[in-house]
Amino acid sequence: MTSSSAASSSSSAASSSAATVSRGPDPEPPGPRTGPAPRGGGPARVSRRGRARTGWFFASPALLVIATVTVFSVLFSLLLSFADVRLEYGGFRILSLTGDHYAAVLSSPEWRHALVFTFGFTAVTVFLELVLGTAAALVLERLGAARGWVLAVLLLPWALINVVAAQLWGYLFNGTYGGLTWLFEQLLGHQPDILGQPASAMGAMVVVDVWKTTPFVAIVVLAGLMLIPGDVYEAAEIDGAGAWTTFWKVTLPQLRPIMAIAVLFRILQAFGIFDLPFVLTQGGPGTATESLAILGYKTLFQNLDIGRGAAVATTTAVIVIGCCLLFLRVFRTQADEGGRA
Amino acid sequence: MALSRRTLLAGGLAAGAGLTSGCAGKPLDTLLTQAAHVPRTPATLVWWVPEIPSRKGPVVADLIIRAFERRHPNLRVRKSNALSATDANRAAVTTQLAGAAPTPDVYLGDTTWPAQFGANSLALPVQTLLPKDFWADYPAALRRVSEYHGAVYALPFYTDSSFLFYRKDLLAKHGLPVPRTWEELLRTARRIQRAGDAAYGFLWQASVSESLTCNVTEFLADAQAPVLDKAGGVALDGSGAERAFALMRELTETGVTPRTVTTYVEADSQDAFTGGRGVFLRNWSYAWGNAADRSASKVAGRVGVVPRPGFDGDGPRGVSCAGGWSNFVNPNSRQLGAAVAFARFCAGEEAQMILLKNAGVIPALEEVLTRPEARRVGDPTLTRAKELRLVARPVQTPYYPQVSKALYTQANAVTGGRATPAQAVRAARADIRTALEGRAL
Repeated sequence: MTSSSAASSSSSAASSSAATVSRGPDPEPPGPRTGPAPRGGGPARVSRRGRARTGWFFASPALLVIATVTVFSVLFSLLLSFADVRLEYGGFRILSLTGDHYAAVLSSPEWRHALVFTFGFTAVTVFLELVLGTAAALVLERLGAARGWVLAVLLLPWALINVVAAQLWGYLFNGTYGGLTWLFEQLLGHQPDILGQPASAMGAMVVVDVWKTTPFVAIVVLAGLMLIPGDVYEAAEIDGAGAWTTFWKVTLPQLRPIMAIAVLFRILQAFGIFDLPFVLTQGGPGTATESLAILGYKTLFQNLDIGRGAAVATTTAVIVIGCCLLFLRVFRTQADEGGRA
Repeated sequence: MALSRRTLLAGGLAAGAGLTSGCAGKPLDTLLTQAAHVPRTPATLVWWVPEIPSRKGPVVADLIIRAFERRHPNLRVRKSNALSATDANRAAVTTQLAGAAPTPDVYLGDTTWPAQFGANSLALPVQTLLPKDFWADYPAALRRVSEYHGAVYALPFYTDSSFLFYRKDLLAKHGLPVPRTWEELLRTARRIQRAGDAAYGFLWQASVSESLTCNVTEFLADAQAPVLDKAGGVALDGSGAERAFALMRELTETGVTPRTVTTYVEADSQDAFTGGRGVFLRNWSYAWGNAADRSASKVAGRVGVVPRPGFDGDGPRGVSCAGGWSNFVNPNSRQLGAAVAFARFCAGEEAQMILLKNAGVIPALEEVLTRPEARRVGDPTLTRAKELRLVARPVQTPYYPQVSKALYTQANAVTGGRATPAQAVRAARADIRTALEGRAL
């Protein structure tokens, strides 16, 4: 998706750079790899072309799949979002191309509500997961021999399929026989309606997502921690830095690039959240937990409003791409400043 | 890459345009001519069918398929297992149909679908293929929901009706009669709850879904408050609508209904009832089979079934939302004649008798309910179905999903105590108007 936005801004530059990249894998001199040393440039060019052909041969099925599954569907969805589509016997007809769907979507209270919920959900969960994941990674790094076991247990929620995790928590939150409801009843003296009230339903959604995805952040950050060279810490120790200073001035700056990757992944996933609210609350109570993805699904598949559904999907994609680009820019500026300081 | 991004973009758009022009429609007359003739050559149909509730024993769908194949030796029917959740089912089947897929040839769908599916050309209008008096033997409410703009888009298969299930043993212990009004039900439930004999008084469904729309439709009908007027405009307003919403609020406020009802779908309320936690339950007819099943129900043998109560006064009693499932014919089917024949067979006497004897549902053909076999089955929902006053949901608009959402969202807010009945009626009225104008997402 990022590639298409880049293409629109500077398509010629992008395509030429892509062309350079594609030649990337074989710029090294062909000599040592192609057995007997070739004489002159001729045979080397042939073999390079031959290899390129083999490359294309092997890559073509994947390219074809990507072209049909991804490129085509994204572009088709884009087309539908501008189109006035009428389903009819034997297929469908595009009556006209307009921007009406976007006007209808952007001005609707349902969309604005879903946007606010999705933003809030993304901000809160990504922040919590980053803090908790980093803390977990720091603990894991010091564990030594037990690390493998702890890691395996910690990763279990991440390994679960989203729908299964959501269903599991759905049972725990269930008002009649849910384990958590029972626990709260014992503690508070009354039965709480966890998924039936907006605030607690949103809270529950955050809890499940943090439970499920913190391990992912932890393992990414842990990988980053392992990559920090030991002598940096030795230098910090010689300079007399305490544990806290070392963390803020040494560990954290070193972790920044890998944390950025984790955050980027999480923004992408959290913004498209569908399965969790779909299974846990169906978007309720009221429309409290209706995410953009759920709204798009309902618009398209329940209401059969093809153009508007596609417009919801497209606006969601544009917003999430915008968020990621903004995040990368802010992050890069910060990293540069950090480097200079 | 030789394949630049620009090429990909252009290619994708060109392919999109090509696909668009390649999907031009077919004239309806041609389709109906094809549909009027049952082929004599061998053909195989695909029937998209979710699990039909069964009174144990053989799978109901298979029995019907076998009976049809005996009548039409050259035709075969293959089952395609649909999902059990209605909304997920609709998403799956519409995706397939909107892509002009020739299968499934016949699909079993909810009675709320005809207007929407008809308006979007996802179902074949079959009225010209039916005899004039076809609908005489089916409930009038079922006919109303199957038609849109004078065309019939669904053939009746079975109905779901709602009843009030109650604990015979608890009422007997307290010497109380089966309540005939909501006011009486509230008093009875509270008395049994206070005595500590049941955790909950009355269980129903109030989650943000179609389940709640059915419940709201019934409460509104009890209070004689229509949702839409004759012209299809919004009618929801006034003291009747507020009375219905106020009852939903009162049920949770008094603790007769647990507050968690705002997350209940049918299965949740049924589980609480068969687990012995409730005095009364509003549910569809199939719940009788589950409540009477000793292996799944703690209260088997102690359950009674009556039509729903009404409000104090001379308003209607025994109101039930007209639910159920009908067969739709895929207009892209390559065997339209055979598909229509199969859908009609399912609505006919032979298939309806199979449903009566084996399925835990109410056959759509009313006449079979009067047969001695109906009494022999021993299911009170079958014999009492005639006493019900069926009401249709406001489904005669292609925007029904949005109208339904407007209703259930506000009803959920009232039940959860987040809005007063007056506020909720006002908001629902405004939201339904937006929905009917096609402006709601």
